[in-house]
Amino acid sequence: MDTSRSPLEATGFSRKLAATIIIVYMIVTLIPITWMVATSFKSVDSAISYPPEVFFEPSLEGYVNLFTNRSRQPKDYLDSLPPPDTWYEELVRSREMVITGPSKFLPRYSNSLIIGFGATFFSVFLGSLAAYALSRFKVPLKDDLLFFILSTRMFPPIAVAVPIFIMYRKLGLGDTHVGMIILYTVVNLSLSVWLLKGFMDEIPREYEEAAMIDGYSRMQAFFKVVLPQATTGIAATAIFCMIFSWNEYAFAVLLTQFNAQTAPPFIPTIIGEGGLDWPAIGAGTTLFLIPVMIFTVVLRKHLLRGITFGAVRK
Amino acid sequence: MKSAAKKFKGLSDKAIAWIFIAPTLILLLAINIYPLIYAIRMSFTNFYANKIGREVKFVGLKNYKKILGKEEIWEKMQITAHFVCWTLVLQALIGLGLALLLNKKFKGNELLTTLIVLPMMLSPAVVGVFWTYLYNPQVGLFNYVVNFFYDFGIFDMIGSSTLAPWSIVIVDTWMWTPFTMLICLAGLRSIPNYLYEAAEVDRASKWQQFIHITLPSVLPFLLLALLFRGIENFKMFDLVAELTSGGPGSATELASINLKREAFEKWKTGYSSAFAVILFVTIFGFGNVYVKVMNKIKER
Repeated sequence: MDTSRSPLEATGFSRKLAATIIIVYMIVTLIPITWMVATSFKSVDSAISYPPEVFFEPSLEGYVNLFTNRSRQPKDYLDSLPPPDTWYEELVRSREMVITGPSKFLPRYSNSLIIGFGATFFSVFLGSLAAYALSRFKVPLKDDLLFFILSTRMFPPIAVAVPIFIMYRKLGLGDTHVGMIILYTVVNLSLSVWLLKGFMDEIPREYEEAAMIDGYSRMQAFFKVVLPQATTGIAATAIFCMIFSWNEYAFAVLLTQFNAQTAPPFIPTIIGEGGLDWPAIGAGTTLFLIPVMIFTVVLRKHLLRGITFGAVRK
Repeated sequence: MKSAAKKFKGLSDKAIAWIFIAPTLILLLAINIYPLIYAIRMSFTNFYANKIGREVKFVGLKNYKKILGKEEIWEKMQITAHFVCWTLVLQALIGLGLALLLNKKFKGNELLTTLIVLPMMLSPAVVGVFWTYLYNPQVGLFNYVVNFFYDFGIFDMIGSSTLAPWSIVIVDTWMWTPFTMLICLAGLRSIPNYLYEAAEVDRASKWQQFIHITLPSVLPFLLLALLFRGIENFKMFDLVAELTSGGPGSATELASINLKREAFEKWKTGYSSAFAVILFVTIFGFGNVYVKVMNKIKER
């Protein structure tokens, strides 16, 4: 900030040393992720070679395997087939296999998107209503209410999974998109209420009071004045909710199987011949992680707030 | 306030407050509290969720007695405690260290912070899967790098019952150290400069400044980070489920993994509900005591 050096400002040398250590840590910590992305571009043989190949001939086999189901065929059958139409068929043919159809990855990925967006929309919408009320009005037992909302996050998901499983079976919500959207909405509500309350506390009351003096009702003032003011906070909250729903595994693996299964329980089950198909898992992982990485960069200014439920605001 | 509110048109503030809060409250009650009460009720029965026609009997405290008297459960608790303690210690030390370094504002600071934070944002289950690849004894990168520095020969992080508990500690620390780092960094940045300037005037050494100014100011932040991590790791499921799925044998069978096996593989619904209630009470109890201690430290 100012030019006079405060005692906290390090000297040139110690600052360089700190930067070096941080850069080394950054490189080491990103190796696993980089390795997974690299694996997605390896051939199956290259992925299981030892020592691990740092330089390799890139291949799209992993991505082809991720999106297709294949079956091995005898050579004379393959020879009797007409020549392959597409590059990916050719690639599969070269492994003495034929494509038997699309894999489940795309439906699982789109389930993740549908459920993620659905749950995000509802938890942010309901959360902003509750957050506004808790931020502006005298609500009896407000602190207890806020703590109660937060405490729902302390339940181990498995602990409530059994009753929810039974409840959903009775209501016909088991393994449905609607059921999962409701569930993820509720799990995200505590985060969204706490975060949004913090953001709304920061919007001066004078804005809506002025609007109300101009003849707006409280409702109109909320929708036309407060919500637009809170856009940044709402966007940050939405991204956090999206990331949570996107990453969630426990409920997904316990409550969904065929219809509404999301990607996280599916990716580990990608199996090739003779065990896990690492390039395909790498490809699935890469495609699955990219949105979150982009979100993280977008969110960087609000990260701290999000991960502490607004307890630390910087 | 009230008289002022009445002058405006539309619903009263009180009505709006309840209309706004009600949906959230109802959903939380329906999807969180009702299942919890349901679980508590089931914990006193011999209910099996997969045997639908079977008569459900009230068995009193039998399930609880069974669990608390079972040596196996205490083993699981020990495994959980090992995991929670080591991850907290490592994440506190490394996280605080990184935060102290990052606080020496150098160029590219913000970019580096964002890159370091990435692992924390990923899906734990997917992270678990790809670490099984890194840990693979034949082709894994982790094993290769370790052997590069010291030749252990072939070793299996996930398959050996002595190494497996450490394999989950390593991955969790890799993933979540940025969390403590970020929060500690916020703590460090909140320390006003004049404190150091005053210390400088009093000729306090750098070390004294660290002990008397830096540490006490960061401590509440660090404790908050550890509270979050402690709760999360006590209920840890997704990462470990995909990484070791509790194995080999039950070497990494944390409380939640055990709970899943009892509830969704053996379908002992009554018994597992009792265990779930015990876990929840433990988390809640620990959490409350911890918050009290934390507030005392803050007051000082």
